[in-house]
Amino acid sequence: MLKDKHQAEIDDILSRYPVKRSALLPLLYLAQREEGYVTEAAMQEIAGILKLTPPQVYETATFYTMLNLKPVGTFHLQVCKSLMCALVGSDTVIGWIGAKLGIKPGETTPDKLFTLSIVECLAACGTGPMMQVNDDYYERLTDEKLDRILADLRQTGTSSLKTGPFMWPEPANTVNREA
Amino acid sequence: MPDQKPETVRLTIDGTTVAVPKGTLVIEAARRVGVMIPHFCYHPKLKPDANCRMCLVEVEKMPKLQTACSTPVAEGMAVRTATTTVDDAHKSVLEFILANHPLDCPVCDQGGKCDLQDFSHQYTPTTSRFTETKRIFQKEYFSPLIETQMNRCVQCLRCVRYCDEIMDVKALAPVGRGTMTEIKHFGPHELDCEFCGGCIQICPVGAITSRLSMYEYRPWMLKRADTICTFCGDGCRITVQTKDNELIEVNSAHGAGRNNGDLCARGFFGFHASSHAGRLTHPLIRREGALVETTWEEALEFVAAQALRLKLAHGPDAFGGLIAARCTNEDLYVFQKFMRQVIGTNRIDSSARYGHLNGVHALRRVQGTHRWAIAFEDIVAANALLLVGTNITETSPITGLKVKEAVKKRQASLVTIETLCPAVDTLSNISNLATQHFTTHPEQFGNTVLGLLKAVVDGNLVDAALAQQSPAFVQRVTTALNGTSWDVLEAATGQTRARWAETAQLLATAKRLVVLVGNGVLRQPGAEATTTNLLDLLILLGKLDQPGCGLGPLAEENNDQGAVEMGAVAEFIPGPVPLDDQPARDRITAVWHEELPRTPGASLTEMLAAADKGSLKALFVIGENPVGTLPAAAQAKEALAKLEFLVCQELFLTETAAMAHVVLPAGSYMEKDGTFTNSEGHVQAVRQAIAPIGDSRPDWEMLSAISVLMGVPLEYGDAREILKEIRSVIPGYGLLGPTPTPPKVDHSTLTRYLDEGSAVDLAARYAVRQVTKPTDAPFTLVFTQTLFHSGKWSTRSKGLLQLQQDGVLSINPSDAAQLGLTDGATVKLSNTRGAITTTVKLRERVPAGVLWFPEHFDGEAKHLAEWTIDPRTQIPYFKLAHVSLAKVS
Amino acid sequence: MPKYEPILLKNMLQPGYAGSLADYERAGGYQAVRKVLGQLSPAEVTGIVMKSGLRGRGGAGFPTGVKWGFLPKDYQGPRYLCCNADESEPGTFKDRQLIERDPHQLLEGMLIACYAIGAASSYIYIRGEFVLGAKILEAAIKEARAAGYVGKHIFGSNISIDIWVHRGAGAYICGEETALLESLEGKRGLPRVKPPFPATHGLYNKPTVVNNVETLANLPHIVNRGAEWFASIGSPPKSTGTRVFCVSGHVKQPGNYEVPMGITFRELIYEHAGGMRGDKPLKAFIPGGASAPFLTPEHLDVKLDFESVALAGSMLGSGGVTVMEEGTDMVWAALRLMEFFYHESCGKCSPCREGSSWLVQIMRRIVNKRGRMEDLETLTDLCKNIAGRTVCAFGDAEVSPILSTLKHWRQEYVDLIQAAETANLIRPEPVGTKH
Ligand SMILES: Cc1cc2nc3c(=O)[nH]c(=O)nc-3n(C[C@H](O)[C@H](O)[C@H](O)COP(=O)(O)O)c2cc1C
Ligand code: SF4
Ligand code: FES
Repeated sequence: MLKDKHQAEIDDILSRYPVKRSALLPLLYLAQREEGYVTEAAMQEIAGILKLTPPQVYETATFYTMLNLKPVGTFHLQVCKSLMCALVGSDTVIGWIGAKLGIKPGETTPDKLFTLSIVECLAACGTGPMMQVNDDYYERLTDEKLDRILADLRQTGTSSLKTGPFMWPEPANTVNREA
Repeated sequence: MPDQKPETVRLTIDGTTVAVPKGTLVIEAARRVGVMIPHFCYHPKLKPDANCRMCLVEVEKMPKLQTACSTPVAEGMAVRTATTTVDDAHKSVLEFILANHPLDCPVCDQGGKCDLQDFSHQYTPTTSRFTETKRIFQKEYFSPLIETQMNRCVQCLRCVRYCDEIMDVKALAPVGRGTMTEIKHFGPHELDCEFCGGCIQICPVGAITSRLSMYEYRPWMLKRADTICTFCGDGCRITVQTKDNELIEVNSAHGAGRNNGDLCARGFFGFHASSHAGRLTHPLIRREGALVETTWEEALEFVAAQALRLKLAHGPDAFGGLIAARCTNEDLYVFQKFMRQVIGTNRIDSSARYGHLNGVHALRRVQGTHRWAIAFEDIVAANALLLVGTNITETSPITGLKVKEAVKKRQASLVTIETLCPAVDTLSNISNLATQHFTTHPEQFGNTVLGLLKAVVDGNLVDAALAQQSPAFVQRVTTALNGTSWDVLEAATGQTRARWAETAQLLATAKRLVVLVGNGVLRQPGAEATTTNLLDLLILLGKLDQPGCGLGPLAEENNDQGAVEMGAVAEFIPGPVPLDDQPARDRITAVWHEELPRTPGASLTEMLAAADKGSLKALFVIGENPVGTLPAAAQAKEALAKLEFLVCQELFLTETAAMAHVVLPAGSYMEKDGTFTNSEGHVQAVRQAIAPIGDSRPDWEMLSAISVLMGVPLEYGDAREILKEIRSVIPGYGLLGPTPTPPKVDHSTLTRYLDEGSAVDLAARYAVRQVTKPTDAPFTLVFTQTLFHSGKWSTRSKGLLQLQQDGVLSINPSDAAQLGLTDGATVKLSNTRGAITTTVKLRERVPAGVLWFPEHFDGEAKHLAEWTIDPRTQIPYFKLAHVSLAKVS
Repeated sequence: MPKYEPILLKNMLQPGYAGSLADYERAGGYQAVRKVLGQLSPAEVTGIVMKSGLRGRGGAGFPTGVKWGFLPKDYQGPRYLCCNADESEPGTFKDRQLIERDPHQLLEGMLIACYAIGAASSYIYIRGEFVLGAKILEAAIKEARAAGYVGKHIFGSNISIDIWVHRGAGAYICGEETALLESLEGKRGLPRVKPPFPATHGLYNKPTVVNNVETLANLPHIVNRGAEWFASIGSPPKSTGTRVFCVSGHVKQPGNYEVPMGITFRELIYEHAGGMRGDKPLKAFIPGGASAPFLTPEHLDVKLDFESVALAGSMLGSGGVTVMEEGTDMVWAALRLMEFFYHESCGKCSPCREGSSWLVQIMRRIVNKRGRMEDLETLTDLCKNIAGRTVCAFGDAEVSPILSTLKHWRQEYVDLIQAAETANLIRPEPVGTKH
């Protein structure tokens, strides 16, 4: 039960909204954080917390692509394939990942470590090709960068190649150019 | 009914000028001038969603086409619905809607009554430009009674919106996004909801259909009959569709009847009760101890002969008559006339005795009417509603919809004094919509109402005009209430004075205040007093006689009100008027050409007692089953066994009928003509939908035949002739037809009540009712109606049995946890009267300490109930028990 | 120094600027809101914004002050401000930078807007994928709250303003303002039928303003330096101020460039973004995000302001400029965007829902060399039948890639279809769907 573990966080979330139902997405995120995906039991519990019927939770949960209603791998590789990334090679990136991990989009590696998804624009169009892995962005992907990222993820669960607070061109760059 | 006149707006539709109320939508304005704008997602009941885009029209000065379904009219607006642009738009939107449609009309139950078919016929060429792959949804099992075919769905969301906006059930979820959106329940689960059938009715295509009639018909093969449902006092208009005398489907047209086309599960799925295989098809007569089939001739002659013999031997008052308030007014009227004129006794009663009479007595006493002085329209237009012990969704679902409409659409405040507490569930719960809710123990309704009255007096909310005109009344009430301390009331009810005060304030400030009283009050001891006190509340707030204000007791059976009005109860002759009302007697005598008997009436319980003592020798029972419904303490079986002659007119061989000397097969409401009178007093036409099952006959016809054989013929050509006679006996009855104005509060009665009438029992009525719970029986068990059944015969409906086929005991989860019970656990309920075992279901809506059990499956359980009889009104109470509960492993 | 004085990006361009509260205040932050609270009435603030000519940066370009002015004057109940940080228009990535690099600039803008419209609660609706952005905002709000800038009695005044971050969960349509409100209310993100507009019936049916991140980030500067100053920048009177243009695609230096409105695409692409990758000729560009019709090299000298781009047959939209070099397959490019729109159609309106799936299927066939000549007419027809007939502007947006590529590069469609015919690939007869 989410309530047993996260009562304080739930209360905090509820306190932000004058109408309970607004807390639905935050609570679904909480559930997803807990189990890796949104379970049926979680939807039922959230319905109870928000005084909604389970179908009301369900209809909302199924509208949003970031909420997984089925388990995904430890690392959810989501490669953007929208036009802007495609112009700079996102299809190739998908091909690379497929070759390196032996999975097709929508599949998970047998060790349940990686799931590959193809997604639409993630607002990193100037720094494509790019992918999101769980919470982090990885941009300006190249073959060898990808190798490093996958290796890092395997070893440490994260990678230093992820993007920090975003700015492009980078300030240093700007200075250079102006110099 | 709403009093203010709405502003009018003038506009033109295709050049025709039309004046409509401000706020009207263009699509409705067009309808007024006979222009039908095609649409899918629009439905007059629902808030516009404008999602299908089918209703596009040109509006002068607007650059884009507008959706007629969501555009309100404006003064001087010029709308064009028949230009090429509009026509092109309609064609193209339809082309889109049809793109993914499977076009499987030949196997679709909606074929022939499908909006998509009709509009396609009007707009599209015969070939489609769509040559891509069609979207296909996996077929999933949706529910036992409702079938979905999501490939046919046009995603108008009418079903989803209906389920939320009108029903407040919210069982349907549009799942996914874009073209792949489909209507589901929750996850992979089958639908669990109120099964009102609303989604089936409102789906413009064949995406949601009834499984009861799946693949059984084509609409044009069906015969239709508009009639009235018999499952509760709401009196919904239904259209029964039949094929070769077989019941195929029931629905209700939008705009039709008091229900405006809405139904509940009983109305929509319950119709098969009439064609149940157990229906009696031949008269039965007892020979050598056993009931055997016989002919009508023999049966009727035997009844007449026995009746004549017993009347001669013991006099008319050795007879009694008992009739179900499920019968038509015509049956009820002929029944009481038969008893009074042919037999010559007033010893008759009906099932209206069980609770409805409490409301009638209170209304008669205080405001001089025998029925509501308000109507459904007043519920919808109310500013504040007070519901007391109604469990309205389950007992009077359609009246419940009026309440929901008032709250959800018109922002009325709602106060609920109910046993069930707010909780989201698969059934809606009126308390969820309440502004103020009092979770009330089943025996505390009276005290909770006292709290409200005290808050009115304490809060100086008493109407100034009343205080001036009837200071004595106000004084009496104040004194009585002062005699009760807040502490005592709080301790008894568990409510707080602050909440009472807030609520009293809320009620006092509402211009239109409607109070509804249900079975939680009406079928428990103290009912009449509590109802009278609620009328006092309206009086004190100065609202009783104000427009749009009033109190309505909710009738349990479809014709409880009719039974009283027809005089089919111990204390009334047709009118209803008391037995000794001379002008009324004279009027009736003039029509009957015979004096009415002067002997006193006898209620059901008095008749049982008389039978037991041996002074009652013969009993006519029509549609009632005291042996099956009353707890053992009533000793009905023993009493009836002593009768010399018991005649039953019945649909089924009930426990009572099984004891009869003669059983006559009666026709159900599907097989006869006549009228029913609903809770609010609307007299509505019942029409025959199928030919009688077997040799059954309408009840009045049998009585009429017996009367002929007994030499006092009550002859009528048809039901309409009876209605004509009723109208001549009850003045003004004709005017009370389908669109009556409700009667007004009678001011002389009210004045008499205020001046002295109220004093008689005021002290007793205002005394806190002390309830002592036996310590060895800590739980209060209530036998209740449920949404899926009403009375005893809904359990013969195959549709309803699929929804609920036995009784489970609902229990609060915290109580369950304490006893270590989970869903489906077996428990033993016991008290001094007996013990039974049953299974439990945990439901948050049932408060702690209370157990909730459906009366339709009460079997042995009913014998646990307390059996008390009001000494004055002879109303028996047997819907509550104090029990102890133990887990059975 | 950059060629033009940056306004919104100024702080973050300073070396070492990390966007903390201290950084922001050192750079002169939170002075504007102090000024507003101390010296100006809400109506005066609205007046200044109106005079500045600031127009929405979210896509539609509606004058911000005018929008605020639509709120009912005499309404007593709560009002809300929602910051639209959904940034999901393909080609757009400026809000992300404004949020992650200078969150307090946005917060100060929101405080000013809340004060002007009388809102005590505001929400930043940020697209779910911006996990980092949401964290940075949460941290910044925490700092500001601790400093007494957000919450009860901000800056010691009698005004209370709360700001909450609310994360979306993956739905482009939630950038549409009414869908955003639905989503914020915990529902499916389906746009509402307008009217009524959010100004009167917004969040929880209360008067509400929805403004884009960049729009709000401009406010402190307008207050600090005056409406006249702002109105003098760019291409007055209709397109005032700078814009952060997001350049993507085949350029040497893709990225965010803040320039005054009114410079030409040529300048933006060739000077700021460093010109074409590999110096190939430019074939096409999208001037304002995926919803804006494609333009051609002919349009390089069109000015980057609302009116000029509209005159050229496209729109400035969200400021996402995507550049494509010679050799780019335009049918493929249109298909990619169509796939985006198909994926993101909320499904409410029949033309958009069914149309997008139909269009995407035809486009796929053409790209896979299974097209038919009559497809071109069908495409045009379907696009025409979607646009202008839907609840929200998505319907208009989704048809622009196809319509504009068909307009400028029709031959590429024809070539693909003819390739299909000459290759004699499977060419199924239309399945006559009679009914
Ligand atoms: C389909 C669609 C998507 C939109 N997406 C965004 C978005 O991601 N971010 C944004 O700020 N505005 C977006 N908008 C525009 C908003 O509806 C709205 O006009 C804007 O938030 C208003 O803010 P502004 O006046 O400050 O521009 C979108 C509009 C449509 C029709
Ligand atoms: S136009 Fe498309 S995205 Fe917009 S409301 Fe309609 S279906 Fe949804
Ligand atoms: S009926 Fe108007 S949009 Fe559906």
